Amino acid sequence: MTAGRDGVTRSPATGGHSSSGLPSSVLVVGAGIAGMQAALDVADAGYEAVLVERLPSIGGRMAQLSETFPTLDCAQCILTPRTVEVGHHEQIRLLTYAEVEEIQGQAGDFRVRVRRRPAYVDWEACTGCGLCQEKCPTTVVSEFERGVGKRKAIYTLSPQAVPNKPVIDATHCLHVQRDRCGACQKLCPVGAVDFDQQESVVEIPCAAIILATGYSLYGLERMPEYGGGRVPDVIDALAFERLLSSSGPTAGQIRRPSDGREPREVVFIQCAGSRDPRGHLSYCSKICCMVTAKQATLYRHRVHGGQAYVFYIDIRAAGKGYDEFTQRAMEDEDVVYLRGKVSRLFRDRDHVIVWGADTLSNRQVQIAADLVVVAPALQPHPETARLAQMLDLPTDEHGWLLPLDSNLRPVETRRPGIFLAGSATGPMDIPETVAHASGAAAQALKLLSRC
Amino acid sequence: MARIGVFVCHCGLNIARTVDVERVVEAARCLPGVAFAADYAYMCSDPGQGLIQTAIQEQDLDGVVVAACSPSMHEATFRKAAQSVGLNPYRVEVANIREQVAWPHQRAPEHATRKAAQIVGALVEKVRRDERLQPLTHPITRRALVVGGGIAGLTVALNVADGGYPVVLVERADRLGGKVAQLASLYLDGGQGERRLWERIEAVRHHPLIEVLTEAEVVGFEGYVGNFTVHVEPSDPAADASATYDVGAVVLATGFDLYPKERLPEYGGGRLADVVDSLAFERMLGANEILRPSDGRVPREVVWIQCAGSRSPERHRPYCSKICCMCAAKQTIAYRQAVPEGQAFVFYIDIRSQGRGYDEFVQRAMETYDVVYLRGKVSRVVERNGRLEVWGVDTLTGRAARVEADLVVLMAAAVPSAGSGELARLLRVGCDENGFFAEAHPKLHPVESLTAGVYLAGAGQFPKDVPESVAQASGAASKVLKLFAREVLASDPAVAVVDEQLCAGCGLCVPACPYDARELHPWREVATVNAALCQSCGACAVVCQNKATTVRNMTTEQVLAMIEAVL
Repeated sequence: MTAGRDGVTRSPATGGHSSSGLPSSVLVVGAGIAGMQAALDVADAGYEAVLVERLPSIGGRMAQLSETFPTLDCAQCILTPRTVEVGHHEQIRLLTYAEVEEIQGQAGDFRVRVRRRPAYVDWEACTGCGLCQEKCPTTVVSEFERGVGKRKAIYTLSPQAVPNKPVIDATHCLHVQRDRCGACQKLCPVGAVDFDQQESVVEIPCAAIILATGYSLYGLERMPEYGGGRVPDVIDALAFERLLSSSGPTAGQIRRPSDGREPREVVFIQCAGSRDPRGHLSYCSKICCMVTAKQATLYRHRVHGGQAYVFYIDIRAAGKGYDEFTQRAMEDEDVVYLRGKVSRLFRDRDHVIVWGADTLSNRQVQIAADLVVVAPALQPHPETARLAQMLDLPTDEHGWLLPLDSNLRPVETRRPGIFLAGSATGPMDIPETVAHASGAAAQALKLLSRC
Repeated sequence: MARIGVFVCHCGLNIARTVDVERVVEAARCLPGVAFAADYAYMCSDPGQGLIQTAIQEQDLDGVVVAACSPSMHEATFRKAAQSVGLNPYRVEVANIREQVAWPHQRAPEHATRKAAQIVGALVEKVRRDERLQPLTHPITRRALVVGGGIAGLTVALNVADGGYPVVLVERADRLGGKVAQLASLYLDGGQGERRLWERIEAVRHHPLIEVLTEAEVVGFEGYVGNFTVHVEPSDPAADASATYDVGAVVLATGFDLYPKERLPEYGGGRLADVVDSLAFERMLGANEILRPSDGRVPREVVWIQCAGSRSPERHRPYCSKICCMCAAKQTIAYRQAVPEGQAFVFYIDIRSQGRGYDEFVQRAMETYDVVYLRGKVSRVVERNGRLEVWGVDTLTGRAARVEADLVVLMAAAVPSAGSGELARLLRVGCDENGFFAEAHPKLHPVESLTAGVYLAGAGQFPKDVPESVAQASGAASKVLKLFAREVLASDPAVAVVDEQLCAGCGLCVPACPYDARELHPWREVATVNAALCQSCGACAVVCQNKATTVRNMTTEQVLAMIEAVL
């Protein structure tokens, strides 16, 4: 049986076995850029990869980004070929909107139970025409748009979603909640909407498991010094990515949430929650310096005459072309870098007043900003803790998965057959993640070659 | 009559903001041979590809033009989609109306729309004359060459060999281990670094599938992915033991060198005996003899100068060398442990400690080991009364800082290792402006070079610390394993071909080819094409006097028809 591209539930894989009768497939948990890369490397080598993703479609964090540093390549443009490739690969089986429930066995012979949530849409029948989303009367705040955009109660994450099949959000659907509406069901040209759909359980035999569960962001609500999430024009870096994105809610126009105006003065705050052992998290989140330099640059490209300020502790631009990119942000884009922490900010009429220190001039700085973009610390995704416990894998004190040896075995774990890919092990930027994920795939391929 | 479908993509707003997509569709409908035309928001998405596939089946199309982004982006995507419903993929062409129309002509939408329609018209003429080609296949030699026996090269070799394929590992020095073997310790390794490196070297040495060649260098290279021939010679020209290997893949793991301290005269490099580089200090730590080179005394005050040659676009190297911040922190702690009464100072611009436990490690250097970190650049190092004086500035107090020292350690920039430029030229691998190997894509292809079958591992691509080098090396190994999983390789059939009836064997095409794909047949008087090396550039077709050489699916007739369509 070949794997489908649509992620439709089917019987357990029967094709993924070696001549010894043991499974010859690899299960990858998480379909961000790390999980996709690992799955592609495994699949291109001729083995089956089963890619399990919690969300309805693949792509992970990268699908939310506008452009990427240091080349300012459009993230969607370089990601879409890859999501499409994963979606169409004959050796990759997608299980989206699904979670790993139980893992038994050992290297070479794992058995994984995956629970799929009901989409309330028959994905086999659905053509992805989008009519249901257009006609659904219920609009809610979109998690994918990071709160700065909306979605319907029946939705896909983005127009380029793979698989491009919608799910119904039961908590907001009028039909599920109050037995009303049902517009999607009535209007669907192929009758794919199925409110009786139940969750299903799939059993996957596999030889190796790659964990690519990624990261989440430290919540603004945990940082009262930056408004605690209650000041509308203080947003996090991922929300700003959505504002910058041409496929985002503002079609790439920079509009602040409170009144939709174009912000003329934007303050970027780095190390929000990072490098703060007393108040928040002790570690450096590694990617925020470059993310901020990119965002400040893109803001200047979009809003001519706009002014960008960046508060930082150290500028950590360590990578090919990174330091040069940050220099250009300062010199060519006139982004004002201020070395110091922001002590607090508050709303004052239609401004956000930012109080900070400039440790180079040893002065207090006050900026009346139209918009504040906070670069929060990266944290392990909540899924990571659950899987670590299920598999009895060690994490560090912050919850990042620990490799067998931080220097010489960076993708292996103390359990043979279980490998790590990408930022489940700690913050990483995209190229490091991609190389790391290929590294995890190599370990799985090594194991399979002996089966 | 041809039945061609034209599919115009909006690319969200990327194209549709500038180009009037509907007018392009209307114009396409009027072209001879066009049976169907439609537009869609994202043609590359699942529904977009579905639209093309449905139209091919329902409209019985025999050719497709997709007007969208650059063909380098999605030509393969659309060809695959068409092929899956039975259309020959070489009858699918991409008209680039994003990079070549919408983006450069944002201020002239009317002009852009007309230009888009013209490009579509030209591609329709091309598709009408496109042959139904079949991909060419080549066998693969399933053996890998790894150049460099440092931690990256060792890791690649071991991973590929453990995957079941033979490896030839070529190392210029007389021993394996590279730079890591010169280090006294690794940071945050619990003191296990040396043992684990030694274990890895032993595993490579004793692996039945790995052939280790030390004191050897790659001097010759030809062929193409899956079928390279490599000539290896001893580093010592007196030794006579050159050998030739057939390999299918090559991994470059040639690592880095330190920027020579002699090129840092402002810090007394090469002139003052007690100014040493970071690797020299590692050797002192390794020997457990931290002594000044000048007089053998134990240094009581040591200054580390970071960014020595790095982040200096005017005088030295413009880039950040990435690994020095953590190396300096490690050395200061090791120094303070060895010389408890000693004092350590570090001059820095930014502290770049990005990694698990790295920031905390630097904090420990500052707080537990009382290392004094001074934020500022050092202007010069001078000798005074047998000691050194480091003149710098402390940008946090805004004051000049003068620190007397017994020893100065330069955290010299990491530069590509000697000879990597020649190696890159030999293997036709690109380098960036600083001489590091260029990866195929900065985000999504970090371990692939621009030459198919040649991969990159470790600091030769850009400075990396040990965990990142090792992970990337495993990543490079996965590309080799992936390549070797296949029996044969498919390649593009749209390459140059020779009409032997017309060919006079004049040989003009041979020097015209930039890819060494053209040769004269050894005895028949005709020119030949190595289809695996041909990149379809057409240079040979242009110089051919008899029009004997043509590029398939880019024939003279096609080009003229395309030009006519535009005019």
